Amino acid sequence: MEVFLGLLISGLALGAVYSMIGIGYSLIYKASGLMTFVQGDILTLGAFLGLTFNTMLRLPYWLSLILTVVVVFLIGFLIEKGIIRRLLNKDVNLIYIVLSTIALSYVIQNGAQAIWGGTYLYFPSVFSVTTVEILGVAVQPEVILCFVMALVGMICLYIFMNKTKNGTAMRAASMDRMAAEACGINVSWTTGLTWGIAAGLAAAGGMLVGPIYSVYITLGASLGKKAYAGAVIGGYGNMYGAMVGGLLLGLFETFAAGYISSEYKNLMAYILLILFLFIRPTGIFNERAIQDE
Amino acid sequence: MEKTQKNRMKPYIWKLLLVLVLLAVPLIFSGSDYIMLIICIAMIYLVAVSGLDILFGYCGQISLGHAAFYAIGAYTSAILYNRFQIPMILAIIAGAVLGALVGAALAYPASNLVFHFLSLATVAFGEIVYQLLIHSPGKITGNFNGMFTDRMRIFGIELSTYKMFYYFMLVIAVVFIIGKIFLTKSRVGRAFTAIRDNSVAASGMGINVRKYKILSFATSAFYTAFAGGLYMFLACYVHPDQFMQKQSVMFLTMLLFGGTGSVIGPIIGVLAVTTINESLRFLEEYQMLIYGILLLIVILAMPGGIAGTVKKIYWAAKRKFSRVSQEG
Repeated sequence: MEVFLGLLISGLALGAVYSMIGIGYSLIYKASGLMTFVQGDILTLGAFLGLTFNTMLRLPYWLSLILTVVVVFLIGFLIEKGIIRRLLNKDVNLIYIVLSTIALSYVIQNGAQAIWGGTYLYFPSVFSVTTVEILGVAVQPEVILCFVMALVGMICLYIFMNKTKNGTAMRAASMDRMAAEACGINVSWTTGLTWGIAAGLAAAGGMLVGPIYSVYITLGASLGKKAYAGAVIGGYGNMYGAMVGGLLLGLFETFAAGYISSEYKNLMAYILLILFLFIRPTGIFNERAIQDE
Repeated sequence: MEKTQKNRMKPYIWKLLLVLVLLAVPLIFSGSDYIMLIICIAMIYLVAVSGLDILFGYCGQISLGHAAFYAIGAYTSAILYNRFQIPMILAIIAGAVLGALVGAALAYPASNLVFHFLSLATVAFGEIVYQLLIHSPGKITGNFNGMFTDRMRIFGIELSTYKMFYYFMLVIAVVFIIGKIFLTKSRVGRAFTAIRDNSVAASGMGINVRKYKILSFATSAFYTAFAGGLYMFLACYVHPDQFMQKQSVMFLTMLLFGGTGSVIGPIIGVLAVTTINESLRFLEEYQMLIYGILLLIVILAMPGGIAGTVKKIYWAAKRKFSRVSQEG
């Protein structure tokens, strides 16, 4: 029982991070009809930036988190404006956009290596206690923080998308570009906003996993790739699907690692991804966006 | 009269010159074993990228997991040779056939997926193969230790120098390129192009879209897996990390750089990307960073690859020239 609870808690924390990356995938797919391969490395960038704010500038964890999200939000916005939008305007084959996001991920990953080095960097613990006890299970407080913060982030996103003008504009633009433009929505702005929010979410994810896994240059690469599984399980393009799918993926991976073998946990995440793509590409929420093309 | 004969002779002269240059390459670079090795690897890449071109350039199906087929070819041929002493060339063919079968098995369920989601499925496939390489049952692939084997030997002759391997590769590359030309000019090739241009229309004309998608995946995988087997017996050692997504992306980059759907495209692409990669090697740990930046600049500055840009310039020049001649 204790093992089960321990796995449940760490599975939920990991799943929350997958959710945050997956939401980014879904938002971007809905807004621009594109798939990005840079999300995972943005998570790495967020973790490194947060670590720098936290240790070099000696800012408190909370402030570094906010600062990181703001900086990476701008980076995401600029990626859309500087690269994606330009390529779309040139009307190139979509494969070049895919390739440009991959090139960008090389730049971020290797740029991070050039700046911060290729070693594992220790992220100072956020809390003064090393473990807290929940129902008799000792848990790292950062794991709880990760889950709670991800939940808070998702609730904020929900409120933003449904209760604010910009969020409503974003949803309208992703439903029908032309109609939204006719209603006076600045679609170019909302698309940029979407990429910025996606990047910001990933960066926050990096700040949250940093204290648990410590920070290294390929931290986000594999998380980002596995998060596709979460997004597809929930129905690619569906924000709420990505939340649920990410949590399910995190639980599945953690339990598989705990009860079967930790060697095969990555393998099983990818098998889950490919099985869902083959058998139910619309995911559990039956998101139709996947059949648009 | 004399003039027309001269014109008729012209293409043959160019072809003869090309053959002579190709045959003379080892003599030009005889001073450097390293350059010869790079050239041999580039020719192996040419076979692999030509395979990817059949899939993407002709049939329009994207793959971001071709390194997996490369790995299947390399590991299968090495295991068959090391454990069962099967002659190398047969082991390579067996590896390529296995690659083609796996490709077909992947394409059967994947044929409903389009573009982004097909690329996602191939990414997942590539990762699955990579995970199986590093955590193989019974350590059959040597896991993180990689895998060793002997230098290529064909009909009892060991290709002990890179020069010899080069001539062997020349024959193989020509065979594969001719195979590609025949395939793409055939009924099958026309079906591929029809599917690429509009799969709904193709199916309306009575083309069995799924069947041809599977066929293109299998052929493409055969080429790439064959290249993997060749690489195995050239390098005599492989490590699983050589077959990560980075390798798949490199194949795709080479193809897009040179231009898709042609014979010359993969040749230009492989030469260009190999040259860039090798000339950035002095940057050591900054190599990938600069490579990424360069890639981004190229994509932004010349969408359509080198071939597309050259073609554009060529047409622009031709138009200008014809206008001038008309005015004159």
